[in-house]
Amino acid sequence: MKTLQQLLFVAGLAGLSLTVQAHDPKEHMKDSEKPNCEAMKDMDHEKMDMNNPVHQAMMKKCMAQMHDMGEMKGMEGQDHSQHKDAAKEKSEHQH
Amino acid sequence: MNKNTFSCAKCLLVVILLILAGILGFVYSGWYPIGADNKHHALTYWALETLRERSIARASADISVPGDLDSPERLLAGGPDYHEMCSGCHLQPAKAQSDFTLGLYPAPPNLTEAKSGQISTTENQRTFWIIKHGIKASGMPSWAPGHDDERIWSMVAFINRLPELSASEYQILTSRTDDNGHAH
Repeated sequence: MKTLQQLLFVAGLAGLSLTVQAHDPKEHMKDSEKPNCEAMKDMDHEKMDMNNPVHQAMMKKCMAQMHDMGEMKGMEGQDHSQHKDAAKEKSEHQH
Repeated sequence: MNKNTFSCAKCLLVVILLILAGILGFVYSGWYPIGADNKHHALTYWALETLRERSIARASADISVPGDLDSPERLLAGGPDYHEMCSGCHLQPAKAQSDFTLGLYPAPPNLTEAKSGQISTTENQRTFWIIKHGIKASGMPSWAPGHDDERIWSMVAFINRLPELSASEYQILTSRTDDNGHAH
């Protein structure tokens, strides 16, 4: 019985150490830089290809901040939801 | 078996034993220059490189590649992992070198450099396999412990797009935020 308890204890420790070793994204979130979405202000959005996954990803990442920042170059009067829809449509198409 | 054949076999055995003893003696002697700043002979380099490439090609041939490597979700998932795990050795836009690229031998490939033509299935299989399994005695670790296949495929997706990223695009895509786009 004592041996079984010892085995369970060792197995528990091994499981715990594996959990600690895993690369947990939340651990890195504390040290991570904020995305510099202000840099998107200087980009010419008329030249941005919204079918490009890089631009779609950037729009997704900065969507919350962009609304706070207000209008950007080349986007005056544009409906931001168009970009959201384009990204969503492409994403669904690929799945 | 006549007497001549027997003595020839004995001779061969002695030669083989001497060669083995020579190899063992060399291994134990400490004469091999193991320092990373001492480059391989061109022939040794070719042999090791060919061994590596053939091994990876054989081992990765049957890996099936997901169809969504071009999705923005993959880039957003793979970017922060690339930045935390790979950029020190494989660099990032507007960074031409690091202590690792200068000191590691063989030097890690600069993944920000543009590739010629479209990325093939074989190339995706190769990149995935290398990230997952690593490469012995090269400084490239296996990232399988602690990272599932999905996370590794997202890194592959990000690496495919890395050469076209500017420094500011890289910064945005690699910062780690929660699902709502907020950093902590």
